[in-house]
Amino acid sequence: MLRRTAAAALALLAAGALALTACSGGAEPAATTAAAPDPDASATIRLVSEPGNLDIRETAGAALDQILIDNVYEGLVSRTAEQKIVPTLASDYEVADDGLTYTFTLREGITFHDGQPLTPDDVVWSLQQVKDTATYRDSARLARVQSIAAEGQTITLTLSEPDSTLLWNLTGRAGLILKKDDATDRKTAANGTGPFRLDDWKQGDSITFVRNDEYWGRKAGLAEIVFAYIPDTQAALTGALAGELDAVTGFDATLTPQIEANGDFTVVTGESTDKGTLAMNSTRAPLDDIRVRKAIRQAIDKESIVEALGAGTTLYGPIPELDPGYADLSETAPFDPKAARALLADADAEDLELTLTIPSFYGTTVSQILVSNLDDVGITLRVDQVEFPTWLSDVYGNKDYDLSFVLHTEAHDFENWADPDYYFTYDNPEVQRLYTQSLSETEPDAAADLLREAAQLVAEDQAADWLYNGASVVAVASGLRGMPSVNVNERLDLAELTKSDG
Amino acid sequence: VIRYALTRLSLLVLGLVVASALIFVTLRVLPGDVAQLVAGLNASPEQVQALRDHLGLDRPLPEQYVEWIGGVLTGDLGTSQLTGTPVASELAEKAQVTVPLGLLSLTVALLISLPLGVLSAVRRDRADGTALSVGAQTLAAVPVVWAGMMLVVVFAVWLGWLPAQGFPRAGWADPAAALRSLLLPAVTIGVVEGAMLLRFVRSATLQAVGQDHVRTAAAKGLTRRQALLRHGLPSVGLSIITVLGLQVAGIIVGAVVIEQLFSLPGIGRMLVVDVGNRDLPKVQGELLTLTGIVLLLGFVVDLVHRVLDPRQREA
Repeated sequence: MLRRTAAAALALLAAGALALTACSGGAEPAATTAAAPDPDASATIRLVSEPGNLDIRETAGAALDQILIDNVYEGLVSRTAEQKIVPTLASDYEVADDGLTYTFTLREGITFHDGQPLTPDDVVWSLQQVKDTATYRDSARLARVQSIAAEGQTITLTLSEPDSTLLWNLTGRAGLILKKDDATDRKTAANGTGPFRLDDWKQGDSITFVRNDEYWGRKAGLAEIVFAYIPDTQAALTGALAGELDAVTGFDATLTPQIEANGDFTVVTGESTDKGTLAMNSTRAPLDDIRVRKAIRQAIDKESIVEALGAGTTLYGPIPELDPGYADLSETAPFDPKAARALLADADAEDLELTLTIPSFYGTTVSQILVSNLDDVGITLRVDQVEFPTWLSDVYGNKDYDLSFVLHTEAHDFENWADPDYYFTYDNPEVQRLYTQSLSETEPDAAADLLREAAQLVAEDQAADWLYNGASVVAVASGLRGMPSVNVNERLDLAELTKSDG
Repeated sequence: VIRYALTRLSLLVLGLVVASALIFVTLRVLPGDVAQLVAGLNASPEQVQALRDHLGLDRPLPEQYVEWIGGVLTGDLGTSQLTGTPVASELAEKAQVTVPLGLLSLTVALLISLPLGVLSAVRRDRADGTALSVGAQTLAAVPVVWAGMMLVVVFAVWLGWLPAQGFPRAGWADPAAALRSLLLPAVTIGVVEGAMLLRFVRSATLQAVGQDHVRTAAAKGLTRRQALLRHGLPSVGLSIITVLGLQVAGIIVGAVVIEQLFSLPGIGRMLVVDVGNRDLPKVQGELLTLTGIVLLLGFVVDLVHRVLDPRQREA
């Protein structure tokens, strides 16, 4: 309550302030649009969550992928904003018709940030390390790779079975190429081949990148980028209004009028793979009854959630539009409180009491709507806001929960629905079979069709509910060009970013 | 006095030992651990366990405690489980923000409370005195967060005089910039703490005015103001030193909140992040240091009191 009032007061004051500056401002904006990019410029970008350490091999979390992949570390291939796979450290690649042999041609003359050359040996070593070290993130994603070998500049991956996700996986952590036997302490430093070098990490404050002037490709457009970690929304807003930030990622879309009022910022929304996932523990009564799960899904008004968040779209299945295998699955549980009540009566589950476990950093917008929607059909929802480590321990680790909310940001993560041990508690052999079959498919379209079929089953089984497909909301200062807007929670490729004097 | 100091010192040490045990045990009760956090959302239980073994999280608690305390006694506060950096060096770095912030806040609080507190006591029967004390009551009730946001809106967003958030990356290499970024946060804490202190100064002054020796001095021909300044204020000062000990604890708590609000890389913000990361060796070191500071200040305040207060001197 207090936060709300304070926020409202701030909004009023801010609006007043903006009105004042608007009166006194002259014809300034015209000058900024014409200015040429300044190659020596530095830009400050607000990010929400700071990584615990920088170990791209062992430490989980999108906070690392977001800034380190593409900018600092690179793989043989990478993905574009349109989610297309393009060669990077490899100049070219080829996949054999049987899908069992991948050959990459490694570019020559590439050096790491510490000056050492990139050799075919480094590539083989990096991939082999990931494959062989179980505690490395995404190690399992190279499970079907049987051997990795180099001959000259040609790297050959031989597979035991086809793997339709391999190239995609190589654009992620599993495919990153590091220097063989590098002594760099990955927890606090980084030695990659990317367009930026990690310059400084001030823990609890910021991470600074500087341009890699020795970069093999097109040099980055900015001399320096500062990632300012500001968890507090209001602090980010005032920081932007005071001109201290050039871009605000993870922006609260409902504050758009405030930040856009004086014309210095534009709010840009892009698609994302953020899935607001309401997991339902189907190993527990009454949630083991599909009618109860369907009733919960039908009781929740997805449109009103999207509206309250101010951005994003509805989602009725496990695969978002940006990923292969998407289909509109809204018919599997359309919003219908009346039908929900009937289902609950039918399941003899009236006057239910359930607990929602939700990490505290998600705020209260979603849980308030859930409480009221479920109350309408006779379900009393108790909201248990917990710290993220508590959620990891209770929900993820021990599967001790009724309902749980987490925003799953990762792209191409359908595999969790095919893993009966995952905290989703979803176990359907047919879905597992379809997923495995899609992995072995050599045609991308055929693989996507199989995923689509599996996703349909997951939604029909009412395995969970999907409250929304989040949007990437970024407020960008005038003068900044080339700020990514698609799926920025996963990747923030800043090589093209430029700034002109504003 | 020396005997008193020794007794008091042993109490301080005992306090620290109890505090260290409490800190250690309470942190172990928190659900979740750093291994789970590092492993994240796509890890198998085996992967989490491998990390746990690697970090030595499953060793018996007494063993871990003894190891920690042994380190502390030899001046080693331990290392972060996430980054491997020594806790002491992290603390020293963050102290460069938090200590100046605390001192600055205290200065602001004293600058506000001393003159205004005495004034509101001396002029208690007049309108301005009443207004002052009502104003202080109101200010003291204001949440620090709200006060901070209002100050940011006025001085950073409207007027653009001071930064709205953050601390210069160069730190104190640019003293002017560093000081500017601490000013708003310090005023925020200082105003709220100062308003509380003001009420205390006021009642201490009122008490002093009523004391026998002050009245006698006034009867001997000094004006009321002279009597108060020469004979009353020392006892006011004494009581304020006592409250200052408590006030410092208040400022530390205020710093935790304010560092979040202003995105300052200080001890308070580090503490919040480390608890969230379950980096227990770091949290332990940070909490023990903060507790140590508060206990030490209490010790110093008690000693000063002992030396200055004539009533306690003969003991």
